[in-house]
Amino acid sequence: MRFGLIGFLLLLLSLESCTDENRCYDSTDTLMISSFSVSGFKNINSMRIRGVNRNDVGNILFSDSTSSLTKRVPLPLSLSADSTGFIFTVNGKIDTLFVRHKMIISFISEYCGFAPAYTMSGYRRSKGIDSVRITDAKVNSQSIVKTTNDQNIKIYFNSSTH
Amino acid sequence: MTKILRFILIVLLISSTPALAKTKAEVWRYEGPRVGVDISRFLLPAMSSGNRSGWELQADIPYKGNFFPTFETGMQWFDDKQATFHYKNNGAYGRLGIDMNIAKFESLKDHDFMFVGFRYGYAIFNQQTDSIKSSNYWGSRVTSLDRHPMNAHWGELVFGMKGELLPNFFFGWSLRAKFPLVVTNDQNIKPYIIPGLGKTGNGTPFDFSINVSYRFPIFKTKSIPKPISIGGAKHPGLNEDIDPNSQDFGGSGSGGGYNRGR
Repeated sequence: MRFGLIGFLLLLLSLESCTDENRCYDSTDTLMISSFSVSGFKNINSMRIRGVNRNDVGNILFSDSTSSLTKRVPLPLSLSADSTGFIFTVNGKIDTLFVRHKMIISFISEYCGFAPAYTMSGYRRSKGIDSVRITDAKVNSQSIVKTTNDQNIKIYFNSSTH
Repeated sequence: MTKILRFILIVLLISSTPALAKTKAEVWRYEGPRVGVDISRFLLPAMSSGNRSGWELQADIPYKGNFFPTFETGMQWFDDKQATFHYKNNGAYGRLGIDMNIAKFESLKDHDFMFVGFRYGYAIFNQQTDSIKSSNYWGSRVTSLDRHPMNAHWGELVFGMKGELLPNFFFGWSLRAKFPLVVTNDQNIKPYIIPGLGKTGNGTPFDFSINVSYRFPIFKTKSIPKPISIGGAKHPGLNEDIDPNSQDFGGSGSGGGYNRGR
């Protein structure tokens, strides 16, 4: 009995000393998964995205000149404002979209820290954007793992102007 | 820390030698409430991430020889300064439960036992997070989450051993599986450590305690508590002598059985 008393104790101490895994295995990037199309099955031949008031060279969020029916782009939302504005240049035409949101800072884990988590509540669009559909208002660190056909927001550009 | 561990180990080894454990003629069996501390709480700063410290008092009292209603209480302070946040979590906790001896007391003086038990735990604590740093394409932000009072309820399954190393002084350990039941909701941060429960990150938290306690020998008896029988068919070999030639044990008559004579 007494041998067990001490033997097991030493075993416990040695097990305890190797239980803390100090690595982060989770995503901490919060990105709004956005899908873009032009109404009437028209191709997007070129697309560039930047933030409103972010005019410096190097502030381009996305740039692609390969032709496709849809584009799927993860976009960051503002950490301090209650809305985020994007400027889209699609097939050479410029449009603007503002997304309204509420943000909380949400804990991921001890070793990953925190990530912002948003709930989208609305939008404002320029005339070249035909329609906008918020398919999942919750944007958090898990949004990035959405499947290819899933997204937070769908944006359709007007075929007559693009 | 190494010196402390070495000291504890030497004391344990010396005190557990048969020469010291040998006692005089058995006349009375003394029992009574035990009060002690969980010394593993003092080892936490060296064994855990963050700056974690605390204390825990443990007490139990024998009931019908093999049962030990138990009360444990303590406090914990946790201060975790990571690269992107600074988390603090402080509070007090209590646990109520019972341990049941599953070993057999060999004599009047034998108080060493192996036990299983359960606990209900409750903690009242608060958490606060400062200097939360975030950054992305739109810039950087440093924010804080105010102090938030919280509480938690949980259950524990316990397995352990306890032995009387010196007269009335007991030493023991227990391994615990803990099951969080209800924790106050905080939309920003689910507490990743709870006083008395430990880290909550990965499924069922496991923990252990190392107990040093003193028994107040205020009751005395001349009877040894009978071992608890936990159901099932009784194996004749455990309580009575066996005839090795008996066909009940499949013996061939050439000494296939065993005899647990005393």
